[in-house]
Amino acid sequence: MWPIFDYGRFVSIISSSDVYGVVWMRSLAQLHKMANLRVLVGVKRVIDYAVKIRVKPDNSGVVTDGVKHSMNPFCEIAMEEAVRLKEKKLAKEIIAVSCGPAQAQETIRTALAMGADRGIHVEVTGKEYENMTPLHVSKIMAKLAQDQEANLVILGKQSIDGDNNQTGQMTAALLDWPQATFASEVTKENDHLKVVREIDGGLETVKVTLPAVITADLRLNEPRYATLPNIMKAKKKKIAKHKAADFGVDLTPTLEVVGVEDPPVRQAGQKVESTEELVAKLKDSGVV
Amino acid sequence: MNYAFTYKMYFKANLLYQRLNLLFRRCHSERRDNPSFDPIKFIQGNTEISTNHMTPEIKLHLITPRCALWDSGADQCPVSDPFWAFYWPGGQVLTRYILDNGSVVKDKSVLDVGSGCGASAIAAAMRGARRVLANDIDPVAAAAMKMNAKLNSVNLETSTDNLIGQGLHQWDVVFLGDMFYDEEFASTVSDWLKTLKQSNSSCEILIGDPGRFSFEEHPAKSLLCKVAEYELDEVCRRENNGLTLGGVWAYDPTRTMK
Repeated sequence: MWPIFDYGRFVSIISSSDVYGVVWMRSLAQLHKMANLRVLVGVKRVIDYAVKIRVKPDNSGVVTDGVKHSMNPFCEIAMEEAVRLKEKKLAKEIIAVSCGPAQAQETIRTALAMGADRGIHVEVTGKEYENMTPLHVSKIMAKLAQDQEANLVILGKQSIDGDNNQTGQMTAALLDWPQATFASEVTKENDHLKVVREIDGGLETVKVTLPAVITADLRLNEPRYATLPNIMKAKKKKIAKHKAADFGVDLTPTLEVVGVEDPPVRQAGQKVESTEELVAKLKDSGVV
Repeated sequence: MNYAFTYKMYFKANLLYQRLNLLFRRCHSERRDNPSFDPIKFIQGNTEISTNHMTPEIKLHLITPRCALWDSGADQCPVSDPFWAFYWPGGQVLTRYILDNGSVVKDKSVLDVGSGCGASAIAAAMRGARRVLANDIDPVAAAAMKMNAKLNSVNLETSTDNLIGQGLHQWDVVFLGDMFYDEEFASTVSDWLKTLKQSNSSCEILIGDPGRFSFEEHPAKSLLCKVAEYELDEVCRRENNGLTLGGVWAYDPTRTMK
């Protein structure tokens, strides 16, 4: 399974030398780890970005029944990055994970069609699903990353329904792994990853050792469409089903949504014919 | 009324049907119910003749990015699972190996299981096999294989029987191009291969696989030895997300399962 390298002889030569040799061997082992990344990608089923959102009449949430759902766009970008790593032969296996009701399996199938090798569906339904927060998801992701022995977790930076931007960061903290969020470029360099992050002030470049958590930002890549041959093959790939309790995660809500409201309707403006009229109106309203 | 119960019953029946459907790859009932369905017209109307793959010596009717069905979802496609309409990378490397190493099939009787578009069988016929049987349980695939054989001026026998699981004494060489994409199916096939080898020890079994996960991790892989390796070409890589390197494997009776 491993390439031709004879570890046995190498170890016996190195063990007779000093600390320098040991450091060399460790980075070589890390190099092999680089070529065999097991990547965990989280994909979330959300209301499609093009749909007009309607608030429920009782202001308890938004209408989701009968509304078109699809994969969160940032999750698509995360999935695409994982497939690109596999095409560069840096990743050996990609596992797509989704927490949600039975329909989340469609999202996992899309991920499988994009290039994931297998899927994991953590089934959460009804009220438990409505009250699920990034804290619950990150606990599940952390446990999964440990169980599956993943060395890279790629998530979207945030979901377009929650807009929380917390799951990636919390997952990294729970695992005590380094994190590189808002990634717009990921490159392999020797035994670590070089990640360019999009921040308010511009671009920041960080080095992360593995294992690590990366969250994908908009400009990381452009996701591919799933074409018919890949959809057909994806139907055959395995999706393992679990419950949150299997990972020792308690889904008791930690937040209570008090109300959801439409944003205020925009007030009509006034048109003026000339600058004198504008100044006059501003003086009248007491602004100037 | 208990909607949850009826939903579960529907879902379980649907799941069972889907699993059977997938496991044996039978055509959708829509096609069976419509006796006027003409596979030849369908193939002519929805595919184009393509040599844009790793074996340009062979012309094949394939669904390419220029065809309407390329972008369709699985539900919009009028035939269920048209595996024959695509030239799978495992099949491409196997066919490439046959074309480059014609002595493997010369004057021998060849069986191509799960033939799909029939490329490996056509390659064997081109390289002088005595007898070639292209086998695929999908009757639309059988029509496609005949059309492809005619395109390349070779003679092929075709069969739509489910030959997996049966003893086959009369075959010198058996091809399995890209059949290990499903873990369950992979186990069925590998069990069959073991019994086949025991009953007919001179039979050579050649497998083409593009490094699919369910193949790489399968315990039966330890019984195989790699005879050739090909980098997948650009078109192949683009159409098969994440795959880059294809291998041709032969069943090695001297090895034991790990």
